[in-house]
Amino acid sequence: MSDELVLHVKDLYVNFYTYEGIVKALDGVEMFLRRGDTMGVVGETGCGKSVTAKSILRLIEAPGRLDDGQILFFDQDFETKETIELDLAKLELEEMLEIRGNRISIVFQDPATYPNPVFRIGDQIAEVIELHQNLAMDVLYMKIAKLELTLSEATSDENRAEIEGKISYYRQQLDDPPEPDKKSMREAAKLKAIEMLRLVRMPAPEQVVNQYPHELSGGMRQRALIAMSLACNPSILICDEATTALDVTVQAQVLLLLNQLKAEIGTSIIVITHDMGVVAETCNWVNVMYAGTTVESCATEEIFAKPLHPYTAGLLIAVPKLHEVKDRLPQIRGTVPNLITPPTGCRFHPRCDYATSVCKEKKPLLEELEPGHWVACHHPLRS
Amino acid sequence: MSELLIRTEDLKKHFPLTGGVFRKVIGKVHAVDGVNLEIKKGETLGVVGESGCGKTTLGRTILRLMEPTSGKIYFDEEDITELKGRALRKVRFNMQIVFQDPMASLDPRVTIKNSIGEPLVVNGVAKGRKMRDMVLSLLEKVGLTEAHLNRFPHEFSGGQRQRICIARALALNPKFVVMDEPTSSTDVSVQAQTLNLMKDLQEEFDLTYMFISHNLSVVKHMSDSLAVMYLGKIVEKTPYDIFRKSLHPYTFALVSAVPIPDPEFSGRAVILAGEVPSPINPPPGCRFYPRCIFAQNVCKMEEPPLRDVGGGHLVACHFAGELDFGASAQQEYADSFGDSIA
Repeated sequence: MSDELVLHVKDLYVNFYTYEGIVKALDGVEMFLRRGDTMGVVGETGCGKSVTAKSILRLIEAPGRLDDGQILFFDQDFETKETIELDLAKLELEEMLEIRGNRISIVFQDPATYPNPVFRIGDQIAEVIELHQNLAMDVLYMKIAKLELTLSEATSDENRAEIEGKISYYRQQLDDPPEPDKKSMREAAKLKAIEMLRLVRMPAPEQVVNQYPHELSGGMRQRALIAMSLACNPSILICDEATTALDVTVQAQVLLLLNQLKAEIGTSIIVITHDMGVVAETCNWVNVMYAGTTVESCATEEIFAKPLHPYTAGLLIAVPKLHEVKDRLPQIRGTVPNLITPPTGCRFHPRCDYATSVCKEKKPLLEELEPGHWVACHHPLRS
Repeated sequence: MSELLIRTEDLKKHFPLTGGVFRKVIGKVHAVDGVNLEIKKGETLGVVGESGCGKTTLGRTILRLMEPTSGKIYFDEEDITELKGRALRKVRFNMQIVFQDPMASLDPRVTIKNSIGEPLVVNGVAKGRKMRDMVLSLLEKVGLTEAHLNRFPHEFSGGQRQRICIARALALNPKFVVMDEPTSSTDVSVQAQTLNLMKDLQEEFDLTYMFISHNLSVVKHMSDSLAVMYLGKIVEKTPYDIFRKSLHPYTFALVSAVPIPDPEFSGRAVILAGEVPSPINPPPGCRFYPRCIFAQNVCKMEEPPLRDVGGGHLVACHFAGELDFGASAQQEYADSFGDSIA
């Protein structure tokens, strides 16, 4: 694992300007992702997990607005291996289109609503590929492969000579491929789509490309969406509650797939979830969010072994566990605050057992209290 | 007085599927297909299963909110399958339900006082000032105050709304409450509060619960005994801790598929190949055989009965107790998963 960062969200502020008031959805979120890592973002409803994901892709729509902060994206050039630094928060729309679905892609929660129901699965994946990739080489390789197939079946010598001539003509073009026509581009993109579906372990991918989303089950649809997001070999894949709508046995299949894919293609993954179990199964780094702020950030083993923020600790023990028997669940009192009028200082203080007057007045900053363990709390739980 | 509160005998609920111009019946969805169930007084029976396995339909059919296709339902040893009119209403006094989505089950234009008080008024228990006092004491039981009486559902948070629904279910002082996924739309910190509240109320009012959920950990936490459903049938019913002792291969796979919030336990999932088959044409024989690695010929031909393997542990599997879920089986599961994706 390298220490090289691929994404660094710095002091991000997102507000939603509604009739009832300004919803301070993100209040100085800090987050960083190392290359090759799987990072979990956990928190309860309304804590800003999805808003953070959408801001990274600049998908925040009115009445929401990205008001302050930086989203630094360190992209690696595919060939030269040079690192390019971009601030996604300041990019123009056209530049952002180059990144969305290409360098950073997202898989959403509900597989029933996301694939367009009126287009075939294969066409939808092919569209992403056609839009973002230069298919000239692929078209040539496809043509050569096709000719080689006919060559093996060809009977007369005259035919053979002609086909071989064509093959060598195309081979020469490989150094400087010409702009392919639309039809062969589509064909090559579709072949790539089949390849992608095979990568996500879709059974019978040759048939699935010609099927419509409603013909697939929920788990299969989620696989197809993952295939679509991975089609351009992105640097970052964001899974926004990607397994929440699935049944446990199917969820286990998808989580296993994500773990295998990470090893195979080396994409960095952000897993957004409210389930600590999913984090334990897939992630090696965790970011805990509460009411629009990052409260804790550390390695997965650390957070389960010794959480330092009172909220994280409360969250961990409040879940009934399958392998433990408890008579009563320890609970966090109160409810998640309204973000139009959030509590002053630390946003968790009204529900915190350790809160003192300083918590009401001063917002705690995210600090590295122990090596590799960041916490935003005035009174962290030290052992 | 017998100690059983609810008993069902071969309970079935099939939904007709219509098609064509004349809406002809072209098939049946076997939502609940022959369920024998017993719930003791003061006990909580947990029902788990994946979506579409018929757990919600089972709960509603027991309450007679849906008419059973066949079979019998006994409440306190009284056959309530055929009851109508006033007699049915009298039985319903004692059985209530809390639904999954509290926002959808509260009328947005009725105040909390009237929502909770409605069962009292309708059944002629109390009205006016007396009703208000009763509602207030119910609200206090679930942790809300007098200030909330005249508010509307939209003014509450999800957890509070679910408390209101629980208060309404308890208004008539029932003996039996079906909890249909009561916490699946709430957050973890609120879920813990709701679960604790339900346990406290059960002790205070001597309630019997049927707790339906797809979340195994929550069901296990709440229940005295647990029934696992698969495609309309109960495949295993056990008074034990299923995390430690499950005899049906489906239960075993289901339990191991739950992500455990502890890195020590992670990565030990047994992955089932494929997905739950359609309940319109369930597989013949054992319904689980197409996904089961232990399946043999007999599983395709004969439906295994739910039999007692000792200590009230019921399993519907031909080979219950003979199967080894050790390392070799996990390897085999991994292989079968590999085959299906190749």
